Amino acid sequence: MTSPEPTSSDPASSGYGVTFDQIELGDELPVEHPDVSLERVKLWCDAADQHFPRFLDHEAARAEGLPGALVPGIMNQGFLLALLHRWAPSATVRKIDTVFRGQMVIETELTITGAVTDTDEDERTVEVDLTVVGPDGRTGVIGTAILAFE
Amino acid sequence: MILDLHTHSVKSDDGRAKVENYCKWIQKKQLPLDGFVLTEHRQFDADSDYRELEDRYGLVILKASEVETEYGHVLIYGVNDDLVNSFDFADVTNPLPMVLEAADRCGAFAAPCHPGRKNVGLFAHYLTKGAVDGVHTVEVLNGGSIPGEDELSVTRAAEFGYRGFGGSDSHIVSRIGYCATEFDDDIEDVDGLLNALRGGSFRPISLRGLADDRENGDQP
Repeated sequence: MTSPEPTSSDPASSGYGVTFDQIELGDELPVEHPDVSLERVKLWCDAADQHFPRFLDHEAARAEGLPGALVPGIMNQGFLLALLHRWAPSATVRKIDTVFRGQMVIETELTITGAVTDTDEDERTVEVDLTVVGPDGRTGVIGTAILAFE
Repeated sequence: MILDLHTHSVKSDDGRAKVENYCKWIQKKQLPLDGFVLTEHRQFDADSDYRELEDRYGLVILKASEVETEYGHVLIYGVNDDLVNSFDFADVTNPLPMVLEAADRCGAFAAPCHPGRKNVGLFAHYLTKGAVDGVHTVEVLNGGSIPGEDELSVTRAAEFGYRGFGGSDSHIVSRIGYCATEFDDDIEDVDGLLNALRGGSFRPISLRGLADDRENGDQP
């Protein structure tokens, strides 16, 4: 992870560690660049028991017609969930819904963004847009999430 | 008048945007959009009624379709029952000439979108299958394009004498308004949109980064 570490003691400047009362429609979540090195992806594949060559071997992936070894789809979702938890650690992720629209290749710089698209004062929930963008600018993953606060 | 001519809502299989959240976002970010057109994938959403949202937020919200052909995706404005019954909107291999002819015959307006997209855009197909008669307008600015694609669209559209417009191709709320189309005429409904598109008094505009600038206090 190349993004700054969360500094919950200073949420206004870091963008991390926000509470419900600090959130407004239109807010942007901190931008992150997740570690998708071969080493890190292999660790994830070991943990998730997802030992497919298309995730770990560029040549094997290219032999399948892919542009290179791919970041597993649910690993992308994991990055997005981690961002949500760092951004609003007191919230519960009630729902996350991702759409995989493009292939994200390992050992490249991915960019993760988020934005608040709705807030509900009565329910104390917020809706968030999420994206994972590849180094060429193509958005590979879009998603939305609903976070609930105490 | 500025309209985003290419947006998707939760009605599209890969869309995750609620229509009211689009309205809230436009209002909150003070985007210079007067409205948007919902172009759901491979269907026409005849059921949804957004007139109450139009009144509440002061926006024009129109409905259209994005269908698929063997030359890439095509936006169709002014979809009616005759057109819906003339070919299968769900078919991903519709012949482009047939779609263009059907739209014209039924009083609609068809225009290929993201034509500069690598491998799958109209102009990529032109290289392998040749140009198609009947294309007159294409989406030259698309919010989902990567660097180089819109530039290719603009260049190739000029070479073929096509008019160009813009649309965000947003599938989530925060992407609306990345690209749009500025019209000289006021547009209140689909008939007005069709007249304006046929009249040709419009131009594509890019609004990328505008929301961020406004958040930082910069006003265009």
